[in-house]
Amino acid sequence: MNQEGTQDALLKQALDVIRPWVKEEHNPQPNRLDVVIGREDLLAVVEALKNARWGYLSAITGLDRPSTPPPESVENQEGTIEVLYHFCEKDKVLTLRVSVPYNDASLPSICNILPSATLFERELSEMFGISIIGTPDPSRLLLPDSWPSGVYPLRKSFSGFSEVTEAQK
Amino acid sequence: MSGERFVIPIGPQHPALKEPSHFEIFVDGEQVTGATLRLGYVHRGIEKGAEQRTWTQNLYLMERICGICSHVHALAFAQGVEALAGVQAPPRARAIRQVIAELERLHSHLLWLGVAAHEAGFDALFMYSWRDREVVMDLLELVSGNRVNYSANLLGGVKFDITAEQKVRILDGLNFIEERVHYYLGVVNTDETFLGRTRGVGLLSREEAERLGAVGPTARASGVTRDVRVDAPYAAYSEFPVKMVVSQQGDLQARFVVRLDECFESIRVIREILNNMPESELVVRMPRRIPAGEVVSRVEAPRGELFYFIVSGGGDKPERVKVRTPSLANWGTVLATAPGHKLADIPMLVAGIDPCFSCNDR
Repeated sequence: MNQEGTQDALLKQALDVIRPWVKEEHNPQPNRLDVVIGREDLLAVVEALKNARWGYLSAITGLDRPSTPPPESVENQEGTIEVLYHFCEKDKVLTLRVSVPYNDASLPSICNILPSATLFERELSEMFGISIIGTPDPSRLLLPDSWPSGVYPLRKSFSGFSEVTEAQK
Repeated sequence: MSGERFVIPIGPQHPALKEPSHFEIFVDGEQVTGATLRLGYVHRGIEKGAEQRTWTQNLYLMERICGICSHVHALAFAQGVEALAGVQAPPRARAIRQVIAELERLHSHLLWLGVAAHEAGFDALFMYSWRDREVVMDLLELVSGNRVNYSANLLGGVKFDITAEQKVRILDGLNFIEERVHYYLGVVNTDETFLGRTRGVGLLSREEAERLGAVGPTARASGVTRDVRVDAPYAAYSEFPVKMVVSQQGDLQARFVVRLDECFESIRVIREILNNMPESELVVRMPRRIPAGEVVSRVEAPRGELFYFIVSGGGDKPERVKVRTPSLANWGTVLATAPGHKLADIPMLVAGIDPCFSCNDR
């Protein structure tokens, strides 16, 4: 029981550090805290966590949130990509959630603050088509050289290439 | 010549490592001045594939991300889905999961010892450690019927029991392995030629390891106290805890010592579980549709923290399965420590993090 008291304190500690920027907060699991922040505040929040020495960046997850089912989607449909920055400290996980619209899918790089993010940012950018402004190495990490530009495999609208395109390659 | 940059491209097919990756090493004479990395040569689109498969099918897909640490992938996935469904695997199932996970760690660390010794040009050590690793592989085959993808997990429990007869054989095998690991620990700490390749090489300070986001034995060899088994116990690690093995030395030798010491800890905890195996069912019933929600599932793979983020939309398939493998987190340490080393040290530095390219690429 005592243990639990100190661990909840960890999440509270994190929240205190980043409170000025938090727009929404949720507790999806007892050991987790999810906060929604704006894209313009991302760097400030990451900097604050780093200065407070809270946790380490464990992963960056992209989630595609199309507004309507992909087949009917029109050019200017306002689907969003949600990007999740997971920070871990002991058994606690703090997740920063940032949403960017399809037509302006860009995020500032956090590599100046946390150099460990470089490979994660490259993967995110290739798989979801988010341009990461200022990331130290924007070259391809995972997809082959022949992969067409503008095709992002982890977006929901991508469902593989037709057999014709495969044959043409 | 100094001031000019000479680039040595290595890979994707190359003599040193068994898996494909491409490096560009910048050198000035023999001195490395920088390195870049390109992955993806075994990218199979598993995260995308997961969105088209049912929860049960995905258990098998995840197990196939990696051929070395297959069990922990399935374990992380199964535990995540169980958390979404609000189900907990029965005590005996959790204990068996932990036994398999620790046997897997033993075989993985012995495999790594061989690969790293081979990179150092010490092929006798490579052959001996791989011979001994066969003992662990046989034990895994004995309980699961498989040498590589043990397929121990089910959503809600495990598939097989460990019988009293199997227990005796496992304990015998562990005695042999324990004796051998003692011997290898002596070799890596006393063989002068070998120490020449490891002592003071690839020095990574604690601050650097933290800054670069290292995980697992790579981080612990630099004094970073991070181990999911201890920090956030899963399976049966709260009932059968392990001690965290940490070294402050930060060089390649420390990475050898930490991994070999972890073998003793694995052996100790497997013995403890087998001698105090809880009695219960092996599996609980799972709903076919998993309630909507998002879950983070972390386990300690042999190479470090393995991170799963699973999203369910309430259907019979996941909306999203994100896998961040330990090797991806550890690459930064290689790229950062490489400058200043001789070109000949690069294979050892790469082997030092025990990279798994199939895990990186997914």
